[in-house]
Amino acid sequence: MQDPTLSRAQPHHDAEELIPWYLTGQLDDEDLAMVEHHLSSCAHCRRQLAAERRMIDEFAQLSPQIDSGWARLRQRIDVPQPRERLWDKLRGQAAELWESLSRPAIATLAVAQLAFVVAAGAILLSLGQPDYRTLGSAPAPSSANVIAMFRAETTEAQLRDLLQSNGASLVDGPTAGGAYLLRVQASSRPQVVARLRGDRHVLMAQPIDGPAS
Amino acid sequence: MSASGTASRPTTGASASGAPGERELLERVKMHDLDAFERLYRIYQPRLARFLTNLVKRPQLVEEVLDDTMMVVWNTAASFRGTSKLSTWVFAIAYRKALKARMRWPDPLEDQQFDNRVSNDAAPDAELEQSRIRSALVDAMEGLSAEQRAVVDLTYFHDLGYREIAEILGCPVDTVKTRMFHARRRLRQALSGTLADWL
Repeated sequence: MQDPTLSRAQPHHDAEELIPWYLTGQLDDEDLAMVEHHLSSCAHCRRQLAAERRMIDEFAQLSPQIDSGWARLRQRIDVPQPRERLWDKLRGQAAELWESLSRPAIATLAVAQLAFVVAAGAILLSLGQPDYRTLGSAPAPSSANVIAMFRAETTEAQLRDLLQSNGASLVDGPTAGGAYLLRVQASSRPQVVARLRGDRHVLMAQPIDGPAS
Repeated sequence: MSASGTASRPTTGASASGAPGERELLERVKMHDLDAFERLYRIYQPRLARFLTNLVKRPQLVEEVLDDTMMVVWNTAASFRGTSKLSTWVFAIAYRKALKARMRWPDPLEDQQFDNRVSNDAAPDAELEQSRIRSALVDAMEGLSAEQRAVVDLTYFHDLGYREIAEILGCPVDTVKTRMFHARRRLRQALSGTLADWL
């Protein structure tokens, strides 16, 4: 039920209300037609239109001095390590390993090595590594970067000597498959891996990059 | 709502929300693509900074609410179904966060950002005049309620329609129109002395 005293003013009020969105081009066809029809006959609203357009332009010049805080925000972001990507990497490493096999005696170990590499991936994901990591933080110094397997008859003393002589430390293991995760100096990793591969106690040694490296 | 208006539009510098680029970025954010999130952040940071500056007066609080808002986007991107514009969703998050922040931290007695927004240092006459006008506009905005400032800002600066604003603020469409109507009247009254020549 509309107040009869408002009937004459209502179209004016309705149109006047919509002037801001008329100016910013945010009216649908029905509203647009209504406002334009009213503007054609209302000098008051046309003056408002002109004044408000200038006011909007002035307001647009006001910019709060808020610096981009991306670096600050990034500190708060945890990125779930995409497991598929890691598995792809591990599969790639396993394939490279397969191709690099040159000694027939070791070829028989290839299948087992593949299993170890995959198992190591699971360990890297589950042992000592949270599902999320904070961006911007340095890789954990204890992260494994080599996976190795030793002959069953290797003694603890032999293993210790082998690790010490190569500057390697034990990060984790043994896995269910008998593999160990080692940390060696990144700069000398290729040489260490080569030496390990040449050692009679070592069945397999392979560079590996975990989630945090 | 279609933006079918043919009236000349002010240059607000705000990009149309919900543009395909933004939606594509969000799809990548759902997959925790950090690069996409940074790009989305850089699109929304200036818009949110402006919006939030009109709602919470403390610069540090603006940063905090802005960051909290974007963290919600990062953490819950998968829940965005696309039934509304992306900008509607983001601004609605920001508005709710700002309201909570306002409850914790009432407005300071003096607007600390005022001096940042309007600088009179060594300005030529024309710039001084411009600065004076902008100071008056800032003062006029200060005279509005937070809810009115939100509607004015979303309308003038962010090119949003009244239906989308109603969705962001969680209020009826008529409330948006009414708030804007009264806000404009107060702005005109506040500016009548300074801007008598064009009001």
